[in-house]
Parts: sequence; C-alpha cells; structure tokens
Amino acid sequence: MDEMRAQFEAERFLYREAKLLDERRFEEWLDLLTDDVRYWMPVGNLEGAGAPDGQHLSYFEDNKQTLMLRIKRLGTGFAHAEDPPSRTRHLISNIVVEAFTEAELKVSANFIVFRGRLETEEDLFVGRREDVLRKVDGQWKLAARKILLDHNVIGAKNLSLFF
Amino acid sequence: MHEQEFHQLVNIEQGLVSPRIFIEPEIYEWELERIFARCWLYLAHESQIPEPGDYVAAFMGEDPMIVCRDPQGHIRAFLNSCTHRGMRVCREEAGHTKAFRCPYHGWTFDTAGKLIGVPRLNDGYFRQLEKEKWGLIEVAQLATYKGLIFASWDPEAPSLDDYLGDMKWYIDLMVDRLEGGSEVIGGVHKWVIPANWKFAADNFVGDMYHVPVSHGSGLALGLISERDISRGFQVSVGNGHGRGGADQWDVESWSDPASPHLKFLYENREEITHRLGQQRAQILLAGHGTIFPNFSFLDIPGFLTFRVWHPRGPERMEIWSWCVVEKKAPPEVKNMMRLAYLAQFGPGGVVEQDDGENWSQCTLAMRGRVRRRYMLNYQMGLGRQQVRPGIPGQTSPTIWSEIGQRGFYRRWLELMTAPRWSDVNTGGESNGRDESPV
Repeated sequence: MDEMRAQFEAERFLYREAKLLDERRFEEWLDLLTDDVRYWMPVGNLEGAGAPDGQHLSYFEDNKQTLMLRIKRLGTGFAHAEDPPSRTRHLISNIVVEAFTEAELKVSANFIVFRGRLETEEDLFVGRREDVLRKVDGQWKLAARKILLDHNVIGAKNLSLFF
Repeated sequence: MHEQEFHQLVNIEQGLVSPRIFIEPEIYEWELERIFARCWLYLAHESQIPEPGDYVAAFMGEDPMIVCRDPQGHIRAFLNSCTHRGMRVCREEAGHTKAFRCPYHGWTFDTAGKLIGVPRLNDGYFRQLEKEKWGLIEVAQLATYKGLIFASWDPEAPSLDDYLGDMKWYIDLMVDRLEGGSEVIGGVHKWVIPANWKFAADNFVGDMYHVPVSHGSGLALGLISERDISRGFQVSVGNGHGRGGADQWDVESWSDPASPHLKFLYENREEITHRLGQQRAQILLAGHGTIFPNFSFLDIPGFLTFRVWHPRGPERMEIWSWCVVEKKAPPEVKNMMRLAYLAQFGPGGVVEQDDGENWSQCTLAMRGRVRRRYMLNYQMGLGRQQVRPGIPGQTSPTIWSEIGQRGFYRRWLELMTAPRWSDVNTGGESNGRDESPV
C-alpha cells in the first residue's frame, strides 16, 4: 500500500458510503460497518471529545446494534420525524489519510450535510469526521467514526439522519 | 390587547384553549413580562458551580444570565449584559474566573456583580462615576431547593418554597431519593424547535396520551413498555405544576435499557423508604412533569432528564436538556443512565425526535387566521378529578387525562391577567381549587 493507493481507497469508500446514505439504502450502509463499530458524536466539539469515556453527553454514542435499531425504527410506521423522509446530500471533502497500513486507514474529512424535508424545511450540518477503516475479508469497513459538529446549539428540530 | 381579552383565550371550565397563545407575537410579549419576568425560573444545578469563581450561562426568558459563586461561596445570578452599553460580559458557557471584563470598553465586574474596573476613570469620568450604582443587574430573588437553583425578577413573588408548594413532594423523588442527592452529567443538549415554548411545557406537564402514537416507534422497538405507560395517574399539583406517571414499579418493568438504574434503586429501597416514606418509595420515580412555567423533567425507568424550554419568539423555542444521576450511584449505573438517556432523548434520541416534528407542524397548521378562531380541545378527563389519600394535588382516575394541562393554563391565565403577584392565588390545588364538573 502506498500513499496514493491509500488516498484512493479512502476516497472511494467515503464517496460510495455517502451515496448509500443519500439514497437511503441504510441496510447496505450497515453492511459497510464492522460488527464492533463505534459511531460517536460528542456534545461540545472540544471538551466533549476530550472528556473521559462515560462522563460527558453525546448526540450519538452508538454501536452496530443501536444503529440497526435506528434503521428498524424507520420501518415501524411511527417514525414521524422521517415520514415523509428527509432528502439528504452528504458532501465529503478535505479527505486526509492520517495513517495507513494494509489493514487499516485513519482518515479525516470535512462534511456538509444538507437536509430538505416537506415543503420548506432546510437544515445544514457542518463538521469534521475522524474515521477508522479496517479491512474485513478483503473489504474496507468503517470501524470507528467520531463526528465533530461545528454547531453548538443545534439549529434543527432533531438529528434524525446519519452522518 | 387588553388583559381581560385573555379570558377569551383560555376557558378551563370547558377545557378550551385558543391556538392564538401559541402563535401571536403580542401575546408572547405579554408572556415575557407577566410570566418570565415574574415567575421562579430554573437556572442551573448546584453541582455545576461547586467552587467560588465557578460560573455557568443560563437564560431567564430571552435574557442571558450568568450564574456564579461569589468569593463568599454564595450563588448569585446577574444579567449577562454590561451596564455601560449592554454588551455580553461573558461569552463562555461555563468556567472559572475572578472577574468578567466587558470586551467593548473594558468595564470589569467581580463575581459578586460589583463594578471593580473602569478605564479612563480619571481623565474621562473625572472620578465622578458612581461605581457602586453600576454593578451587574441582579435578580430580585434567588433560592435553591435540594441542589436546584431558581431565581425570579419580581421582589413580590412568593418564596420559592411556597411557589414550588406541593411539587416538592415529587421533586424529592428525583433529587433526594438517596444520600448525596443528584448531580448533572457534563454537557448540555441544546437545540431549536420552531414551535412555541408552551407546546413542550404542556406536553411534559400532563400528556401521556401522545406517547403510544407520537412515540409509537419506541413501543414497536421495545424501548417503551405499554404496560408501564398505562398505569398510574396525572396530577395537577397546584401553582401550574403537574406530573404524571406510574404509581408502582416491579420486576416486570426491568426492560434492558432500564434495568441497571431500577435495580440500583431497588437495592437501595430501604434507604429511599427511610428518607421519603413508604408511599413515595413505592412510586419511586417522579414520571413526567413541568414546574411552571418552563422547567420539565422525565424520571422514568433507565434515566432522569431535566430540561428548560427557553422562549425564542412566539414560534420558536431553544431546548437545554441535561442528564441527571444519583450522586451515590456506581459509575457503571451512571454510565448506563447516560447512554439510555441519549439513545432515547435529546435531538438524536429515537423517542424525542418525533416531538419536534409534531410541535413544529402544529405551529404551521395553526398559523392561519381562520384556524386561530377555533379553540383546541383540552377536555380529556374534565370533571373527573379525585383526591387520593396521601397524594398532594388533584389527581385523575387514569393516566389518560389532561388535568395537568388545565392546571397549567389556569395558572397561565391567572398570571396573564394579574397585574401583581398579590392578585394571584398561591394556595395551590389543595386549597379547594377544584375543576368544575362539565
């Protein structure tokens, strides 16, 4: 694995992943995650990310099982926040491979996520993700994602989407 | 608008409330004056500012506040606004300091609110500035109840003790079950919902009715137990406060997310009984509730949350929500409470997500001129109130009742039409103030 290859692999993974999310192919998205995935969006960009485990609030602190529950919820007929569904667009940029081996990529990226819903609802979420991609059976999978929002007071009525 | 017009907007005897109070800017302005500038409002938890010099930001209505501990260790609350040009003197959300220096012209105030520094005092003010008159603007009254800090802008407001009244019986359940009381987990969930603040206060004060539908996904996924939400009763506690919830908990309530917390409470049942008595030890959890006007709680199997619904204009609220735990609980129980809270509540929580959808779409649907002519129905359980032995307040026969909301809006109407606190009944529900039968 050389640097160019690592960059290519990381970008290809992240762009395809974003496409799945925007097309609401959540079951397929779930398959891109390792079984021990940690999906974490701490509250407060700096102090939240720096606090010892378990002593600070998060917006998301999910594992594969709770992410599965979130996806299952959408099919219950009672997920009013996503009925009708949001229209999302994940724009992923500034992708930097921080470290790489044959088996693991550490990647940071910036994101803008646009959400449109109903007639006029519009939300914009901006931030940075720090990902760990791991090779499982020859496929890259997301093993950890830390999502650092640049917002403090969330300007939206909920976070019923994935980042 | 004349204050007598408010009687056309809220009719408790018939269980009718006008959509106008959720929409119209003029009514909102009256609320800022007659409710938010007069009532006792929740500011913070003492555990957030343990040492002199510690401070935390808060809001009272739309007014930004600094809540801090002065050099003597007393809790103080000031408007976060320089007395010179009004600039916010503190722009951090929490921290520790000796003084607040205004970034505009440099006026500096200590943590007792005293003006201690003014640039150009000699060659600008020629030493004639009366510094003692220009300290930070301080609340009229501040008091705490078992770790909860409240303040009021009205010197004539009843004492916090009288204001909370019988609600203290339920607050004790949340913050005084065990030795050491409660503490707040670090970090605050803050988000904005485009809906009037009363939608949330109303929802928490007495609305179990919405749970099976609004939160139907929670039931479908097994996060909410139908059995648990169907038991117990609603209480109009008096002074606009209300709560509802189950009257007992047992081993069948130990669903996965709830079990560590409930198990911990069960293991400590003897101490709870000793502190709060047999009846409250059996109720165990305060359930859902609102302390008038905008401080709500949810104390259910699995976790405890406090939240304030800050008014941000007639059609907008900013929510500040905390996760609260028993100080005495072992770290793993605190952590499970934290995880259960954030999985279900807060903006990302799978249960709470749907509330914002409903409140914002209610707002959209009621904004029109014609819809505002038609009253909303608050008649569930009207005229069916009952007194239960040992339970403070007027209670409903079943959990499915809007008695809490009627108590909330009765107090809202009293305050909106009363020029002074002395014109408001402060005796609470136990003082013979029943709902009239239909």
